[in-house]
Amino acid sequence: MSFRSSITIVASPRPRVGKTLVARLLTDFHQGENRKVVSFDLNSGERTLTQFLPQQTVAASVRDVNGQMALFDRLVTDDDTTKIIDLGHESYESFFTLAQQIDFIEEARQRSIAVAILFMVTPDQTSVTAYRNLRDRFPRAMLVPLHNEMLGSAQYRDKYPISGSGGLTVKLPALAPGLRKLIDSPPFSFANSNMGSATDVPLDAHIELQRWLRRIYLEFRELDLRLLLADLSSSIRFGS
Amino acid sequence: MARPAVILVGADKGGVGKTTVARTLIDYFGAHQTPTRAFDTEWPRGTLKRFHPDLTEVVDVTSVSDQMKIFDTLGSADAKVTVIDVRAGLLSSTLQALTEIGFLESAKKGQITFAVFHILGPSIASLEEIAETARVVGDANYFLVKNFVNNTTFFEWDPATYNSYFKKIKGAEEITIPKLNEMAYEQVEVASVPFVSFVGNKGPKGEAANYSFVLRGYVRHWLGNVWGEFDKVKLVDLVSPKMESNVRQVAG
Repeated sequence: MSFRSSITIVASPRPRVGKTLVARLLTDFHQGENRKVVSFDLNSGERTLTQFLPQQTVAASVRDVNGQMALFDRLVTDDDTTKIIDLGHESYESFFTLAQQIDFIEEARQRSIAVAILFMVTPDQTSVTAYRNLRDRFPRAMLVPLHNEMLGSAQYRDKYPISGSGGLTVKLPALAPGLRKLIDSPPFSFANSNMGSATDVPLDAHIELQRWLRRIYLEFRELDLRLLLADLSSSIRFGS
Repeated sequence: MARPAVILVGADKGGVGKTTVARTLIDYFGAHQTPTRAFDTEWPRGTLKRFHPDLTEVVDVTSVSDQMKIFDTLGSADAKVTVIDVRAGLLSSTLQALTEIGFLESAKKGQITFAVFHILGPSIASLEEIAETARVVGDANYFLVKNFVNNTTFFEWDPATYNSYFKKIKGAEEITIPKLNEMAYEQVEVASVPFVSFVGNKGPKGEAANYSFVLRGYVRHWLGNVWGEFDKVKLVDLVSPKMESNVRQVAG
């Protein structure tokens, strides 16, 4: 598949909803597809993404202009690289405020870079309002609700209407608590066929993990296709 | 044909951002396809000319020959708008000279559109300038500009004091230039290009440049806000009254 550059922002105004796990999975997924990929860790505290993927991850910040330039100037660079942003909740508002101010989505579009915002859905009003707010502020970005089934099975479809450009919801399937503990202990890479250093993983757990990965990767492939379609239709509509 | 318009940008104090405001005006009229020329009175070396070399001429506004160069050509120049960036300390004397040559009288008769952008300084003395300038300006369109572009300006006067001066001037309008990120401002200075060229990632000769996307974004956002202030006082309508009436006729 001929895939143009893309940027995926994994976002939520809430902490501990699985953003970093999704960013890790996305990074490994794109690597598995033989794409050049770089991830940006916008969590000021633990830098968990950096711990798991030190080779692919850049610690980033939007607190000062130098940090903003280091991040956004690189994001819009045409380097044939897939970019993933793990947007920590404490950087959520400042990131999107700046993105709106500097017209980030439009700049990316002009450079043929597709932008998707994967929004972690939760039932709280803060997140519901934040989601609607993003839809209003970035009508030309692909805004995709991501339902982390590890947080519960409720769908909240009424609270997170699917946006026209995205047209789908991504599901992160639930994982048995024992396996969850395994994947949450660095170093661990989904890209590694041996599942990182977890050589002592029992066979049934290994199979279960592979099955789980296949399900989420299927969701990511669907997301890829939607991004490509949105990108193509945008090119046709605007003649770029 | 629209009557010529002259916009004087000045203050009696230095370092209040006159040239920055003049640059935003030139960009604004350019964006509205309004032919514009500029005179930089920081003779012999002008700052405005560095940013807009093709549109700007450096003049000594105190010399009669340069006054002729500016005012005798108002009707014949291709540019319908003339922006004059008045050197610090020369605003009052320039206005006095304009009175003496009958320019203000022509403005009063409606033969010329005349506007003054008075950039306010931080001291109370700056407010006292308002009354003095307003007395000379007479019927001109008078804009008081609070310039926060560098945020280095700390206004010593309080709002009540300012309002008492502001209300004394009939028809004066207020324009606020917001702060621009220091690094973004500095990079435009280094690039020596108009703000719109910086936003468009263009060098001095229109060639492709490689300015930071973030800094360009800051400048674009800021310039949009500045132009919003100009829109608010209907600046384009002011300098192109003929054009506006045509639009009104077409609109029925």
